[in-house]
Amino acid sequence: MKKALALSALVSLSLAAAQKTVTLAWSGAITGPTSDAGASYAAGVEDYCKYANAQNMLPGVRLNCVVRDDQYNNANTQRNFEDFVGNLNTPIFLSYSTGSNLQLKGVIEETKVPTLPASYHIGLIDAPNNSYMFLPVSSYSENIVALLEYVAKKDRGAKVALVVNPSPFGRDPVVDARKAADRLGLKIVDVQEVGGNNLDNAAMLRRFESQGVKYVINQNTAGPVANILKDAKRLGLLGKMQFMGAHYTGGEDLTKLAGDAAENFIWATSYYMYDEGDRPGIQLVKKIGAQYGRKADTIRSVHYTSGMLAAAIAVEAMKRAKTDISAAGLYKGLTSMNGSRAFNPGFTVGPVTFSTKDHVGAESLRLLQADKTGNFKAITGGQRSQMFQLVHPLR
Amino acid sequence: MDLLPQLLLAGIVIGSIYALAALGFVLIYKSSRVINFAHGQIIATGAFIAFALTQRGLNFWLAGLIAMLATFLLGMLIERVFLRRMVGEPIIAVIMVTIGLSSVIDGLIHLTPYGAGSFSFQTPAVLSGQGIEVFGTPLSRTQIAGVLAALGLLGAFTYFFNKSTLGITMRAVADDQMAAMSVGTSVERVFALAWAAAGLTAAAAGVILGLMSGLTLGGLAGIGLKVFPVVILGGLDSVIGAIVGGMLIGILENLSAGYLDAIVPGGGTREVFPFIVLIAVLLIRPYGLFGTKEIERV
Repeated sequence: MKKALALSALVSLSLAAAQKTVTLAWSGAITGPTSDAGASYAAGVEDYCKYANAQNMLPGVRLNCVVRDDQYNNANTQRNFEDFVGNLNTPIFLSYSTGSNLQLKGVIEETKVPTLPASYHIGLIDAPNNSYMFLPVSSYSENIVALLEYVAKKDRGAKVALVVNPSPFGRDPVVDARKAADRLGLKIVDVQEVGGNNLDNAAMLRRFESQGVKYVINQNTAGPVANILKDAKRLGLLGKMQFMGAHYTGGEDLTKLAGDAAENFIWATSYYMYDEGDRPGIQLVKKIGAQYGRKADTIRSVHYTSGMLAAAIAVEAMKRAKTDISAAGLYKGLTSMNGSRAFNPGFTVGPVTFSTKDHVGAESLRLLQADKTGNFKAITGGQRSQMFQLVHPLR
Repeated sequence: MDLLPQLLLAGIVIGSIYALAALGFVLIYKSSRVINFAHGQIIATGAFIAFALTQRGLNFWLAGLIAMLATFLLGMLIERVFLRRMVGEPIIAVIMVTIGLSSVIDGLIHLTPYGAGSFSFQTPAVLSGQGIEVFGTPLSRTQIAGVLAALGLLGAFTYFFNKSTLGITMRAVADDQMAAMSVGTSVERVFALAWAAAGLTAAAAGVILGLMSGLTLGGLAGIGLKVFPVVILGGLDSVIGAIVGGMLIGILENLSAGYLDAIVPGGGTREVFPFIVLIAVLLIRPYGLFGTKEIERV
């Protein structure tokens, strides 16, 4: 009996020793500005990572799931990155904000650590220093250009206003939007920056009205957009102007804040919605969310799905790296995701494809429209913007 | 419809909320000469207490009143635990305490389910109906209620400081603490009451703001900083100054949004304009429009 116990202990110890620990780490805004999106995103990363361990997705590898708050502060992100890569030896960096990613681009290039940001800012994969940045889904710029294409099909020559966040996150798509509007025969008559403390938008909306604006396209977060929609409703402008927006403007967050003023808002995103329960990815989101006791609001948030996608891509890259779970191995794993080897975890309208030249994962997007109940329903199928590739060729 | 009356009216609506938020600064400074940099966090605390109570099924109005009472007590507690020890210390030390306090409250709110995320009050039935039109500008019932509540509280505090014995005592303490103590006034009690009253008005401002534009910690706490130009313009120790400063800043913000945003690429001038006013006021009239003129030559 004693021998059996000793043998079993020895086997257990050997197995434990054979099991490699790899850190899967994320740094983002769990508190501070944009934490409304970041907290759910963090939960998605953490839960998928734990799920991967529970499912033994990487035999012989135990994932050390680290989710760290950077408060939307670039200096904190940099410290986290240095700790993750320097001390925890993480082979892949799951990052967050536009500003911190832009700041870290050069360092990421030097350290050669593949990075998956929550920011879908096209500038992150523009040269220079763009070899190791991978956008999980279509960029904000492509979202906006796709919305412009939709407007052009319905109402050629229409006057459009852009309302953007006063930050690199908000401003970046403006150049591509202007170029696309020119080609599409649309007129961008005004570009306004609106931040998080916009208590009253009457002046801006009245000016849009006097300029004959029929479409208002937002590149912002849900909070400021909700306030614009509520003011537009109060001023009786909701029927006269069509409000639209890129990925971070919409979803549950918007309808929760804007209430019935969000009705008819048109939103561009690559993700499936919570109420599309027939999608395997959404079934997985619900299953994992329930398994780890997340609140209904968190599970319903598109940002929870987004966090899961980022973690799923990282885990898949590790799977493909097999025995070489290093930054170089994961780079190879990521860039092998194309053709018949595309990765399709089911969270997005199309598969995730990367190569050494293609650094946009799920390139397809859909336009969805908010209905009376506050749910977003698809009004287009999965598509890519045709114009975007002309106004912003990559590589 | 001409744009100007609409901009003026929108400015008054926002300005009255600014004035209410600024009142907390004034109440504390008026009695203790302390500038409370944690005021935005107290505004957020009040709003989230009310929101949490409504989430548990409590009536909105009752939840708002309980939140005001809670922040009244919180203000008193903050004064008792942190500020009372700072009496006689250099002003920079006191300011650092309030800055530290803002981080502590911020962190504590993040430990609650409301630290991250966007939330909105379920609008009470009486406020969700059709609004009214004033000079061709539609105003929602929420906005009207917000303005009335803000003006009501501001009026009550103006009366309190000018007519009530306690209000006059608080002014006396602010004028000369040593003289007030020599006639038997409890300076400590006055300080505690000022912090408590500031807490009460902060919750009122937070609930109104939450009702009008949703609840996010960043947005609510940010108001504390945003109303700083209001108190400087009006005068740090003047309730009337808070009202006039709030209205002026609200109107100037809207006028800049209405007329300057069209010619400034990217617009967003309303975010900057109050701080331009702040700099101008500090250069020309550092004690504000209604503040006590104190000249020190060294």
